[in-house]
Amino acid sequence: MKTKKLLSIIVLVLILAIAYGTYTIAISDFTLSDGNNSYLGGITWNRSLDNGFQMAKEQNKPIVVYFWAVWCQYCAGFQANTLGNPEVKKILEEDYVLVAMDLDRDRDVARKYGVSYPPYVLFLDGNDNVLERVAGAVDAKTFLPIVTEVRDKFRRK
Amino acid sequence: MADTGDYLLYFSIAVSAVALAGLLLKELRNNDILSKFISPLIFLTTGILAFLYLLLTYYFIAGNFIYEYVWQYSSRDLPLIYKISGVWAGQPGTYLLWVLVVFLSSAWLAFTTRHETALARRTQIITLLTGIFFIILTIIQTPFKTIYEGRPDLIGFIPPDGNGLNALLVNFWMIVHPPLMFIGYAAMTIPFAAAIVYLITKEDGWEELGRQWARFTWLFLGLGIAVGGVWAYLVLGWGGFWAWDPVETASFIPWLTLTGFLHAAALHRKNKATFSIAAPVLAAISFILVVYAAIVVRSGLFNSVHAFGETSTGTLLIILVVVTFIVTLLLGMRRYFEEPGKEEEEWGLWSKRNIFYISLLLFVILSFISLWGISFPAFIQLTQGLKVNVASDTKNFFNLWSYPFTIILLLALGFCLNYKESEKEEQKKILYAVTAITVIAMFARTENFYVLDHNSPFFTREPQIYKLLGSISLLSIFPPLIYAAYATIQRLMGYLRLGSTRPKVKGIGLAMVHFGVVLILFGAVISSSFTHSNDRINVPLSAKGELLDVGGGYGIKLIDYSTRSLTETTGSGAGSPGTRISSIKSDPASYVNNNVVVSGKVTGVAYTQSNTTPVTYTAYFELNDGTGSIWAATQSAEPITIPEGIDLTASGFIMADFTSPSTKTTYDLIVFSQPDGISETSTVSGSDKYRVQSAKLEVYQNNQKIASGTAEYLEGKDGGSGTFPMVSSGITGTDVYVIFQGVGGGFVPLTLKIIPAINFTWLGILLFAIGIILIMAMKTKSRGD
Repeated sequence: MKTKKLLSIIVLVLILAIAYGTYTIAISDFTLSDGNNSYLGGITWNRSLDNGFQMAKEQNKPIVVYFWAVWCQYCAGFQANTLGNPEVKKILEEDYVLVAMDLDRDRDVARKYGVSYPPYVLFLDGNDNVLERVAGAVDAKTFLPIVTEVRDKFRRK
Repeated sequence: MADTGDYLLYFSIAVSAVALAGLLLKELRNNDILSKFISPLIFLTTGILAFLYLLLTYYFIAGNFIYEYVWQYSSRDLPLIYKISGVWAGQPGTYLLWVLVVFLSSAWLAFTTRHETALARRTQIITLLTGIFFIILTIIQTPFKTIYEGRPDLIGFIPPDGNGLNALLVNFWMIVHPPLMFIGYAAMTIPFAAAIVYLITKEDGWEELGRQWARFTWLFLGLGIAVGGVWAYLVLGWGGFWAWDPVETASFIPWLTLTGFLHAAALHRKNKATFSIAAPVLAAISFILVVYAAIVVRSGLFNSVHAFGETSTGTLLIILVVVTFIVTLLLGMRRYFEEPGKEEEEWGLWSKRNIFYISLLLFVILSFISLWGISFPAFIQLTQGLKVNVASDTKNFFNLWSYPFTIILLLALGFCLNYKESEKEEQKKILYAVTAITVIAMFARTENFYVLDHNSPFFTREPQIYKLLGSISLLSIFPPLIYAAYATIQRLMGYLRLGSTRPKVKGIGLAMVHFGVVLILFGAVISSSFTHSNDRINVPLSAKGELLDVGGGYGIKLIDYSTRSLTETTGSGAGSPGTRISSIKSDPASYVNNNVVVSGKVTGVAYTQSNTTPVTYTAYFELNDGTGSIWAATQSAEPITIPEGIDLTASGFIMADFTSPSTKTTYDLIVFSQPDGISETSTVSGSDKYRVQSAKLEVYQNNQKIASGTAEYLEGKDGGSGTFPMVSSGITGTDVYVIFQGVGGGFVPLTLKIIPAINFTWLGILLFAIGIILIMAMKTKSRGD
């Protein structure tokens, strides 16, 4: 009886410790999005497309809208390797207004632009014109020239 | 506007409620007034539900698209088997299937026990309560809702075709996976009911009843999960056979606790004092977790690639979980405080019972890890509005926390199967030795063979403690695996020496199941660690027949590329564009004087010309689409020729009882079309909802052909798609696996994977299934084998 009780208590304590530890770690290290922003690929993204348009007009920058989902297997890799690529990341952060749309929440926006699966990147100008679309998890080698070209074209205008 | 189907659902509630009242009268007042009606009423309810299920299936087959559910998940051009399986493509249909199986279990219980014992009656009460609850859920999300509900403007409109099944669901796995899951879910009701009765009344014999049902559930749930794994393995982007997606994990949790229950029951049946609380609580918890799994799928709170989306029944399911959980907890606690200390003498750390208890605790820990991992992100999202991930890469969380406990479980498995009271000291020494080797193996440093993939970019972003646990070498799984395999074989030898057949066969079953565990884990670890993957291979269509080097010593040759329609109807029949001719013929009134599109093979032609100037030429032609034939006509100033035997589509105006002025032939129905309204039906016709692209391939390693086959890609018109990779299994257990994602820009995009040892996992699952069936077949009534 004693052994059994002792074992049960040890397991209970263990479970509670794991529960508490993982909960705290998840909040401190792995918050993907809060009320205003999403944090994907080491980049901070705006969660509101309307704010994005406003900022784009104010700063005269094009917008990158990134469609993602928690359950998307390819998004994780795309964020780590493509969006997180230092060169890509630098251009995105300096020359674009960044908006992330969560396919579990922002379904209407996705529908409006005909986005049916993640990952999907949409380039817009401040007047809601689609400049470019990148569907699927492309690698940094493919993504970098697109990011550069869309920016340059936008500036020439 | 409720439908006949809905009325019958209401009626089934009434019928089963009378049966329930009869049981309650007997139970509470010892009043037999309704007793003889109980079983017939239960059979009647089951009959009604079975009828409703068949009725719904009939609607799917017949294409009765005035039902929203039928419209949403079926279409005319689907092959019959997918019309039948479309019934379980969405929530309403799966509720109906679920409730039907609950009542089939209830009927089985009535049939086998005749409610002779108090245990049978009480178990039936709880089963019926659960059943009625699920009928209510079915009514709330009824599959018999018509499209007219809330849309009076649509009344009279009959959709010519349905929306169709998502292309992802058009495959063999969709036919088997959901029924297995839902039969497993529903069959969980009886072990739950029996366990609750036992917790309340200490009724003897509950475990006899519960155990057999639990094994049945274990088999179906396990097969359902496994088939789901095979399906995910074959679908692009689902991350292989197991990706710890919330929905698949949610169905795995009750399976784990059920496994725990089966182990608890094995000792409990020999000595009623052993696990007298753990066994019933595990059975009850398994049911609660099944309902929880339904919530994960249906509430919209859990972000999954597999979710059905938000629904009205989510809240009711949550209430069911909360209520049953509180009841189980209170009853378990009452039992615990009722018999303090009385339970048993001190077990001793190394007693069989204690090792079994440790195993139960390990099953609880493993299920907790999975439960916690899928639940707390949803909880945080709900309470704080934050979206969090459980780790840098979701699967890392589950793998790294489950791994150490799986190792301990394997060690316990080895020890228990080897267990002999007389040789205990000897066996303890072996266990110590294996444990020591395992611990040493954990520290082995190899290039990359760890619990977490060190080459993955996610690894560097995991917190210290995860990195630490993730750096345990996977070599450490081999000593426990070998130990467990050895113990299983030893045990099997013992069984084979037994004289009588039943315990012998049962023992073989038991050994098969445990050997299955070893194979599954071996396959899982090896295949996920040593898969060679070659992404983004683009074979130009023009390079057909050439061997293309894709790196890593591998080469791919595209032998042939072709496309076809899913429904092999050669331009006629169900695949034709436009309205079916049979529909027009059966209801001419709604078509006459309206425009229609019809198509079919030209089976008859007649030409006339007017005797006026300028001359008008008229061509009459008969179209047959396989469902019927209709005449059509077109006029022009030039002579028109229509070759017989070709497939034409004609759009035009339908007239009734038309008599040709020149030939005086009367047509009861005819389609008048402008010459430009007639066109040859293209092979890729507009109504082709499902197109299949096939790439015939050969895979080479160092210029030696290692595999050949066909990889296919199914595309639905609605945008959905399904991949059917080429999977070629070698005798070594290695799969050559090529995913084809549909031709684009003249290229055939392929992903090549060389997956070792995966077949050990499938073999292990097969052993699970055969083993448990043997155990079930050799059901032993008496205590002890």
